[in-house]
Amino acid sequence: MTARKKIVNSFIFLFLSALAIAFLVPIFVVFLNSFKTKFSIVGSPFELPTQETFVGLENYIYGIKTAGLLKAFGLSLFITVSSVVVIVVCCSMTAWYVTRVKTKGTRILYTLFIFSMIVPFQMVMYTMTYTVFQLHLNNPVGIILVYLGFGSGLSVFMLSGFIKSVPIEVEEAAMIDGCSPLQSFFLVVFPILKPTAITVAILNTMWIWNDFLLPYLVLGADKTMPVAIQLTMQGAYGSINWGGFMAMLVIAIIPIVVFYITCQKHIIKGVVAGAVKG
Amino acid sequence: MATITFKNVVKSYDGVNNVIPGLDLEIKDREFIILVGPSGCGKSTILRMIAGLEEVTSGDLFIADKRVNDVAPKDRDIAMVFQSYALYPHMTVYKNMAFGLSLRKMPKEDIDRKVTQVAKILDIEKYLKRKPKALSGGQRQRVALGRAMVREPSVFLLDEPLSNLDAKLRTEMRSQITQLHNDLQATFIYVTHDQTEAMTMADRIVVLKDGIVNQIDTPQNLYNHPCNMFVAGFIGSPQMNFINAKIIAADGKLYASFSDYKIPLLERMCDPLKEYIDKDVVIGIRPENFHSEKFYFKEDESNKIELFTNIVEMMGSELNLYGEIDGNKIVAKVPSNPNIKLNSNVSLAINTEKIHIFDKDTQNVICD
Repeated sequence: MTARKKIVNSFIFLFLSALAIAFLVPIFVVFLNSFKTKFSIVGSPFELPTQETFVGLENYIYGIKTAGLLKAFGLSLFITVSSVVVIVVCCSMTAWYVTRVKTKGTRILYTLFIFSMIVPFQMVMYTMTYTVFQLHLNNPVGIILVYLGFGSGLSVFMLSGFIKSVPIEVEEAAMIDGCSPLQSFFLVVFPILKPTAITVAILNTMWIWNDFLLPYLVLGADKTMPVAIQLTMQGAYGSINWGGFMAMLVIAIIPIVVFYITCQKHIIKGVVAGAVKG
Repeated sequence: MATITFKNVVKSYDGVNNVIPGLDLEIKDREFIILVGPSGCGKSTILRMIAGLEEVTSGDLFIADKRVNDVAPKDRDIAMVFQSYALYPHMTVYKNMAFGLSLRKMPKEDIDRKVTQVAKILDIEKYLKRKPKALSGGQRQRVALGRAMVREPSVFLLDEPLSNLDAKLRTEMRSQITQLHNDLQATFIYVTHDQTEAMTMADRIVVLKDGIVNQIDTPQNLYNHPCNMFVAGFIGSPQMNFINAKIIAADGKLYASFSDYKIPLLERMCDPLKEYIDKDVVIGIRPENFHSEKFYFKEDESNKIELFTNIVEMMGSELNLYGEIDGNKIVAKVPSNPNIKLNSNVSLAINTEKIHIFDKDTQNVICD
C-alpha cells in the first residue's frame, strides 16, 4: 500500500468513525438521561448522572406503571408480529404464484405490486383512512390488513426475485415425490426461501414497530396505542416527565435493536440471494 | 407390468406449432430405452409427458395399460432423475431420499430400512447426514438416483442425468446405472444427446428429429442399418461419410461412381438399385470402413481411393484422417501408423460390404 493510499484510508476511517459516533450520540444521550432527574435533563442534558441527579430505575418504573407502556408494548408486539407473519406467508405465496404461473393476469398483478412501491404513503393516506373507517378496519386486527397492503409491494418484489433463481425442477421433483401444490410450497419452496423471507420479515418488523403515521390515522379512536404513539402522548398531556420519556424510549427501541442484531446477517444474505443464481 | 404406450400423442405449447406432431411408441416392460436426438427434438418433452409434468395436447398415453393423460405425477408410479439433480437443498441426504416415502405415510422403520439399504448400494451411507451443497457432483447424482430408487417405482425416468459429470465419472455412473437396471428390473426411459451413453446402455434406442421418431431399434441395428441419412449421421463418432455418387451398370455389375473412382457394389444391392441406374444417390461409409492396411485392397484395386490429408488427429491407437473428395468431406479412422503424414496422399480401401446407399431426394436408405 502506498503512503498516499494509507493517508486516504486513514481519512476515510476517521470520517466514518465520526459519522458513526454522530449517529450513536443521541441514543447514548437518551440512555444516559433515562437515569437522571427531570430537572437535570432539562438543565444539562449531556452531563453524566451524578450522586444528586441519578435516580436509578425510577424513570423506568414510571414509564411502565404510570404511562401504560406495557399495554402499548403488548399492542405493538401483537400488531407487528401478526402483520409480519401475514405479510411473509401471503407475499411468499403470491410471489410464488406470479413467478411460476405466467399469464397476462399474473404479469399485470406483478406490475401492480411494483407500482405500489413507488406511490408515497402521503398520497394515499386520506383515501386509505376513509376506506379503513368505511370497512371498520380501524382496530388492532384491521390494521394488520392495512399493513399487508402497504408491505406487499417490496415483499413480493424481493421474494419473486429469489423464486426466479430456484430451479423449477426442485418443485417438479416434489410433485413426483407425492406433494400437492400446497405441500410443495410449504415443505419445499418456503424452506428454500428462508433467507429472503427472513429479510422481508426484518424489514417489515422494523418498519411496522417504528411506524407512527399509519396507526395514528387508523387507530385514532382507540384508547390503547402502539408504543410509537404512546410515547408522543406523554408530551401531549400535561407537563412532560422527561426522565420517564427517555426511559420509555429506551424500552421501545430495545426489542428492535436486539431483533436487528440477531438477524442482520440474514439481510445481506437475503438481498444477495435474489440477485445471483446459486 | 409397466408397458408405456403412446397412441398418436400430440404436444403443442401454443396451439399452433406441434412440438410432438403425433407419436406412436410402445416401450416394453423392464426395457431400457433411450431417447436421443439433437437439441429441441422433443426428447425431454416426451419424458416430461410420461412424468405428468407436461400435459398431453391430444392422443392417449398409457402406463401399464392405464390411460394416464389426466393422472397426477405422484399417482403414476414413476420416479425421475433430473439433469440438475433437483435435490432439496434444505434437507439432508437422508431426508431427500426419505421425503417421498414419508409423504406416502410409510412407517418410520420401513423408511429407515429402505434408505439405508439404497444408500449402501450407491455407496452414499456416510453422506446421509450431509446437505446436498456439501457433496460433489457425482455424489449428488447418486443421491438423486437413490431418491428415485427408494420409491421402488415401476418406471424410472432419467433426463440427461450424467451430463454434468466429468468424463471419468460419467463412464463409472454409466455402468452403475446399467447394473441398477439389471438389478431393479424396472422400465428405464433415459434421455441423452450423448450417443456413447445411448449405444452402451440401451436395449433399444429411439432416434428423434423435430418430434418425429426416425428409427427405433437396438444399438447394433441402428448402427449397422440406419433407416435414413439423419440416423446414419447422428449415430457414430466421427459421423458417417456421405459422398454424392452415381449408380452405373457395366459388365452386369453395379458401381458407385464419384470423382475418378468406380466402386463395385455387392450383388445383393443390384435388385434394390435397379431403378437408380444412371441416377444420383448418396453413399454412406463409416470412418472405420476405410482401411489403410494392404490386406483390405482388392487385387484390381477397384476399392481404392486416394485421400489428401488436411488434418490428422492422433487418437492413441487410431488416427482420424480428414480430407476431401470431389467436395465431399471425408473422415477415415485407421490404425495408428507413423508413415501417415499431414498434407500427404494416403491410399485407403473401402470395405464394400459396409456401404450404405441413400436416395438423394428422400434421404431414406435404399440398401446396405
